Order: sequence, then C-alpha cells, then structure tokens
Amino acid sequence: MSTEAKRGFTRTVPFWAGLAFGTFGAVMGLALSDAINAATALILMIVPAGLFFQTMRVANTTAACSGRGEAQRLYVKRVAIFASTYLVVIALQVSLLGGDETTEASLAARAALSVMPGLAICGIFWAIGRLILDEKDEFIRMLIVRQTLIATGFALGFATIWGFLEAGEVVPHIPAYWFAVAFFGGQFIGAVSNRITHGSWGAL
Amino acid sequence: MKNRLKVLRAERDWSQQHLADLLEVSRQSVNAIETGRYDPSLPLAFKIADVFEMAIEEIFQRD
Repeated sequence: MSTEAKRGFTRTVPFWAGLAFGTFGAVMGLALSDAINAATALILMIVPAGLFFQTMRVANTTAACSGRGEAQRLYVKRVAIFASTYLVVIALQVSLLGGDETTEASLAARAALSVMPGLAICGIFWAIGRLILDEKDEFIRMLIVRQTLIATGFALGFATIWGFLEAGEVVPHIPAYWFAVAFFGGQFIGAVSNRITHGSWGAL
Repeated sequence: MKNRLKVLRAERDWSQQHLADLLEVSRQSVNAIETGRYDPSLPLAFKIADVFEMAIEEIFQRD
C-alpha cells in the first residue's frame, strides 16, 4: 500500500467512526421512540455494526502498517460467518413468526426460532474469546482484553442503571438483547480508550 | 520504566517495522514500548536484549 493511500485511510477513521455512531444513535432513537418495532431495529443494527467493523479495519490498517496477524484474520472470518448467520436467522424469525404479531406457531417452534439470533450473537462473543487465546502479540492481546473489559463494564453498567430506572418507571421497558448492543457500543469506547492511552485502536 | 529502544534502533538505522519483524511482534508493540506506553513481559524483554546483543538492564532502567 502506498504512503498516500495510508494517509487517505488516516483521514477516514473519524469519518467511519462518526458514521457508525451516527447510525447507531439514529436506530436507537427510532427504536426508543417506537417509530420502528424491535425486529426492524435489530435488523437495522447491522448498519452501525458494519460501519464499526469498517472503522476498526481502517484504523488497524492505518496504525499497524504491519499487516494483519493470523489470529485477526481468523477473527474477521468468524465474525463475518456469525454476522451473516444472524442476518439469515433474524430474517427467518421475522418472516415465520411475523414480527410482533401473535402467531399460531407452537412453543417449541417459537423457542427454536427465537434462540437462533441469540446464539449467532453468542458466536461473536466466542470469536472475541478465541482471538484473545489465539493472538500471539502480547501488546495487541492486552489491548483486546482491555477493550473487552471496558465493553463488559459499559454493558453491565448500562443494564444495571437502566434496570433501576425502569423499576422507578423513569424509562420504558426494553428487551434484554439491547445489552448485547450496549456491549458492542462499549467495544467502540474501549477502542477509543486504547487509542488515547496506548496509541493504538486494538484489533477488534 | 524507561528504555533506550529508540536510541539503540536509531544507532543501527533500523525502522520500527524492521525491529518488529526481528522480535516477531507488531509495529504498534515496538512503538508502544519505545514511547513508554507499554512495558514488555520478561520473555519479550529478553528477546529485545538478544536482538540488540545487550543485557536487559542496559536497555531497560527504572524510572
């Protein structure tokens, strides 16, 4: 890659990050204002997730200049597989169960269809764990652990505070899968924190 | 912890990428160690010492 191209990538990191946060905020806003239903919001979350992924990819290309390690290549492949699976099963779930409408599907069929998107997201959690195990570079591994801890703290904090606010009838009820979305938002905060404290975005 | 990595690398006219290749780590790692943002583990510190053919304490010093 030429130096000019690398400079171009450097300029685009804030662009992709801004776009990821902007679309995340827009989807959250639409979902919380009941402009779109939960299923639509979940499907639309693919857009900020994809933009976040692109931000990390560009940031890594810019900061590393050293090529992607085998562990990171495997991670990207695994995330792509689980994200694609998520898209397929969420579409399947929405089309067969009809979104928010009550259907005549049996409990077993509803349970099977409903658990699949969650399992696909769990696959991404597993991919993060495997990346931590597979990564040979101790500095990069430390950044991934740090980023994931920040994301976990953010998601747990968000869940706890929201839960108490909900109990106090200050905020509306939200389905628990939004805490996984908070975790992925927390990954971005973790990446920014890594950049500020250690001069590198990390590898997620 | 302070280190002389940047000076030693400059004396040999090595780029960060070249040193990273010798150490089998990323360029970010070399940069983070040089700038004092990251203290390497003992195995990596030994590897750095081996690459420069020096003792660890000649490269790394207490603050």
